[in-house]
Amino acid sequence: MANFELLVNGERRAVDVAPDTPLLWVLRDAIGLVGTKFGCGQALCGACTVHVDGRARRSCTLPVSQLGTAAVTTIEGLSRDGSHPVQRAWVEIDVPQCGWCQAGQIMSTAALLAERPDPTDAEIGTALNGNLCRCGTYTRIRRAVQRAAELTRADGRAR
Amino acid sequence: MTVRLSRQQVLHATRAGWYLFEPPAAIAAALPLTRRTFLRVSAAGSGGLLVLVATRDLVSASAGAVADAPFQPHALIRIDVDDAVTIWASNPDMGEGTKTSLPMLVAEELDADWTRVRLENAPLDRRYGGQGVGGSDAIASAWLHHRQAGAVGRHLLVAAAAAQWGVAADVCSTSRGVVRHDASGRTATYGSLAARAAELTPPASAALKDASRFTLIGTRVPGRDVAAIVRGLPLFGLDVRKPGMQYAAVAKSPVFARRAVRVDATRAMAVPGVARVVEIAGLPNPTHLIPGVAVVADSTWTALKARDLLDIEWEPSPFADESTASLRAQAAERLSAPPEVLHNSGNVDTALASARHVVDATYECAFVAHATLEPHNCTADVRDGECWIEGPLQMPASGRQVVAAAIGLAPEKVHVMSSRIGGGFGRRLMSDYAAEAAVVSKAMGAPVQVVDSRSGDLQHDYYRPFAVQRLRAGVDAQGRVVAWDHTLATCSRNAYRLDTRPPSSTELYGSYVGRVKTVQELDPDLVPTHIPNARLRYAALSTGVPTGAWRAPSHMAIAFAVETMLDEMAAKAGRSPVDLRLDFLGDTADVPSSAEGYTYDPARMRAVIREAAERGGIGGRAAAGRGRGFASHFTFGSYCAQVAEVSVDASKRVTVHKVTAVIDCGQPVNLLGVEAQVEGGIIDALGTAFYAEVPIARGRATVANFDTYRLIRHREAPRLVEVHVMPSRRTPTGTGEIPLPPVAPAIANAIAALTGTRLRQTPFSRDGWSLA
Ligand code: FES
Ligand code: FES
Repeated sequence: MANFELLVNGERRAVDVAPDTPLLWVLRDAIGLVGTKFGCGQALCGACTVHVDGRARRSCTLPVSQLGTAAVTTIEGLSRDGSHPVQRAWVEIDVPQCGWCQAGQIMSTAALLAERPDPTDAEIGTALNGNLCRCGTYTRIRRAVQRAAELTRADGRAR
Repeated sequence: MTVRLSRQQVLHATRAGWYLFEPPAAIAAALPLTRRTFLRVSAAGSGGLLVLVATRDLVSASAGAVADAPFQPHALIRIDVDDAVTIWASNPDMGEGTKTSLPMLVAEELDADWTRVRLENAPLDRRYGGQGVGGSDAIASAWLHHRQAGAVGRHLLVAAAAAQWGVAADVCSTSRGVVRHDASGRTATYGSLAARAAELTPPASAALKDASRFTLIGTRVPGRDVAAIVRGLPLFGLDVRKPGMQYAAVAKSPVFARRAVRVDATRAMAVPGVARVVEIAGLPNPTHLIPGVAVVADSTWTALKARDLLDIEWEPSPFADESTASLRAQAAERLSAPPEVLHNSGNVDTALASARHVVDATYECAFVAHATLEPHNCTADVRDGECWIEGPLQMPASGRQVVAAAIGLAPEKVHVMSSRIGGGFGRRLMSDYAAEAAVVSKAMGAPVQVVDSRSGDLQHDYYRPFAVQRLRAGVDAQGRVVAWDHTLATCSRNAYRLDTRPPSSTELYGSYVGRVKTVQELDPDLVPTHIPNARLRYAALSTGVPTGAWRAPSHMAIAFAVETMLDEMAAKAGRSPVDLRLDFLGDTADVPSSAEGYTYDPARMRAVIREAAERGGIGGRAAAGRGRGFASHFTFGSYCAQVAEVSVDASKRVTVHKVTAVIDCGQPVNLLGVEAQVEGGIIDALGTAFYAEVPIARGRATVANFDTYRLIRHREAPRLVEVHVMPSRRTPTGTGEIPLPPVAPAIANAIAALTGTRLRQTPFSRDGWSLA
C-alpha cells in the first residue's frame, strides 16, 4: 500500500492503495465516486472514461501511481447539477437505456466537443467508436452529440 | 440534529420517510437517535423490510410540520398532505423502461401530475404484485394491476372531495392532481384530500378509463432515471456501498461447473488487503449456483488480482473434450434420426419429391454470451439469521428462493432489493451471483459485494444455445409452399436446468410443444398454417455447456432459418417474398399459439407486413448497388416486420443504410420507450448476427474480453433506423425482445438479393462478413 494525493473534480483526495491500482478502482472503491463504470478492465469498452488534464482517458488501465499531479474529472465533476451541454442533450434526446455505458459516452463526447465544437459525423464516429453500448443506443447518441454541439455553441454565444 | 447517511441510503429516502434497505443494526449505527426524533420502526409486509417513517426535519431541515397521516390507497401509491405523489417502481429496469412505463399506468388512472410524481424503487414484497421482468411481459402483466391501483386511489380522492362539498361523486372530475366540482368550479388538491381519503375504505376495484381518455399512456415520456444516469448517481448494483463492506471475486472451473478438489491459496493470501478465501459449494441445479472459490479483500482490484493467483485443481469433467466441432458432429448425427416428432401432417416426403423447386439447407447458430455491460455482481449482508440482497436481479422473487437455499435460511428471512440493472438480455433471470454474495457474506459475517471481471463474466455465462437446423421446403408450379420439413438439434436450456418437461420445450418458442394436436396449434411462423405437408422434429444435444435464455430465446435461431428459407422459396418461385408470406397467413383469426396465453392474429401480422413492405420499399427499386431484404416474426404476443437496405463491398463489408421496422405491440404505453427498444433491439441483433460467438474448445469457453468477443460499435450501427408503431387500443404486449428475430434474416435476405449468396450461419463473421 502507498499514499497518493489526487486532484479529483477540483478537490484534493488522499488515498492509501496498492500502487498498481487503476484509477477506476481508486475512484469507485477508495473515494466512493461510483459514476465512473467498470465494463472490461482492459481499455476495450470505454465505460470507465474520465478526463485527465482535459483529455478522455480509460481509467481502468491507468495505474494511480502514474497519475502524478494530473487533474481528474469524472462524470460527477462534469457539472454540479447536470447542466453541462452534453448532459442536457442526453436528457433531451432520452439516450440511455440501461445506462451503464452512458457516463463513458458522455465523457468521451465532452472531450470531443471541447476540442472540436462542430464535429463532422466522421469525427464523432472516431471519437466514440471505442465506447461500446450493449443496449444499442448508438443512433440516439449520434443525435445527442449533434444536439450537444448546438447547445455548446449557444452557451458560447450567451456568454 | 444531523443524521449522516451514505449516498446509497439517501437514495432510498422519500419526502416524509426513509425506506432504508439495511439490517436494523446497520441503521441503528447510522442514526444518532435523539428524543426529539419521532421514529416508527416496523417490519412491514411479507418482505420484512424495515420501514422508518421519520419526521420530515430528519430529511430536510426546511420542511414544514410533521406530516399528517399520508394517504396510501395501495402499496404502490402514497399521497402526502403537501400534494407530493409517490409511486413505487415495482419492477426492476434493465433499460427497457419499466421504471417509467409501469408507474405511468398508475399515474394515468390516478390522474396525478406526472411531472411532479416521485418514483421510489420497491423492495421485494408481494403487496406490489409480480415483480419480475422477462419474456417481454412486464407491461402486459402490470396493465390491469397497476391501473387498478391508480383507479382506486382516484376513486377515494373523488369520494373525499364529494363528501367535503356535499355533492355526488359523479359530478366531480380529476386532472393533474386536482379534483374539481364542475358545476361550482370548486377545486381541491389531492394533498388536501389525503387525510379524509385515508379514512375511507378502498373498494375492491374501481372503473378504469376508456382508452380514448388517456392523457399519459400512448405519449412520449422521457425515462425517469435519465437525469440521474447522466450525472453518474449511484443507481446500479455495482454502485452499492455499505459500511464495512468487503469485495469478493470468485474463481470457477474453466471446464464448466466443476468443484474444486484442491485449493492452494498461499499466493492469493499474500496479497495485501486479502482477508480470506471462501469455498462455494454450488447447488444441485447449476442454474442456481455454480461451485467456486471466492477471494475476499478490501477492494475490487485486490479481490480480482488475488483471485487470479489461486492455484486450484478442479474435479474432472465428462465434457473436458467438448468443442464447437464436436457439437456440430453430434448435431449432424442427431439430425438424421431425431427422436422427437412434434408434428407430422400430410406426406412430407411425397410432397418434397413432387415439388417444382426444393431447397435443402442447414443452418447453424453459435453459442452467444449476454455480455451485459454491467458485469456480474451482487451485494449481500447476512447477519443475525437474516439476509439482505441488493443487486441487478431481474427476478427478485426467484432470487430470494435461490439465496435461501444457498445459505439455509427460510425465504422470508431473505430481503431483496433490485437495483437498476446495467443490461439483462436474459442473464439476470438467474440469481447465481446473489447466491454467491450470500454464501460469502455469511462466511464473513459482514456485507460483501461479489464482482466478476469481464473474462469471468464471458467464460461462465449461461449461453444462448448452440443450434443446428435442417430445413427442406418445396414450392409447386404455382409458387405455393407445399412441403416443409424442419428438424432442430440444439443444446436444450430445459435439459440444462433439470426441468422434467421435454428438452424441446424451451427450444421451440416456449412451452406449447407437447400440447400440439393440430398444425393450427403450432406457432404459425414456425409451420405456416397453410402448408399441407409439414413435419417438425427435435433432438437435444448432450453437452456440458451452461445454457440460458438470451433475448428472444429460440426465436432468434428459428426466425433466421424460417425467414431466410421463405425468402429463398420466393426467389425460386419468382415471387415477391411479401406475397409469398401473405399467402401463408390465411384467414384464421386468433390461433392459440402458446401456453403463455398469447394470441396470434394473422390479420395483425398481415397489416404489419404490408406496412413495413410499403415503408421499406419492397417491390420498388433500391438505389444502384443496394439490396433490400424482408423478414417478419411474431414474438411473445407482438408483431414485427422489417426491411433492411444494405450495400456490400468486395471484402464482404456490409453497410446497413437503413432498417425500416414496423411493430404492433397493442396499445403503446410509452411511445418514446417503444421506439428506443426497437432501435436498440435492431442494433443489438445486428451486432449479434455479425459477430457474437463463444467458441468452445477443450470443454471451456475460449473468449477473454471484448477483443475476442466482439460487440457492435458506433460506426457500424445502421445509418438510419425508422420505427413505425402501429396505432392500437388492444391490451399492450411486449417490445423488449420483439424487434430482434427479424434482423438477421432481413440482412441475410438483403445480402442474397444483392450478391446471390445465402448466409446460413450466425455469426456472419464466420464466413468473412463484417459491418462497415
Ligand atoms: S472498463 Fe475501461 S475501457 Fe472498459
Ligand atoms: S445504455 Fe446500456 S450499455 Fe449503453
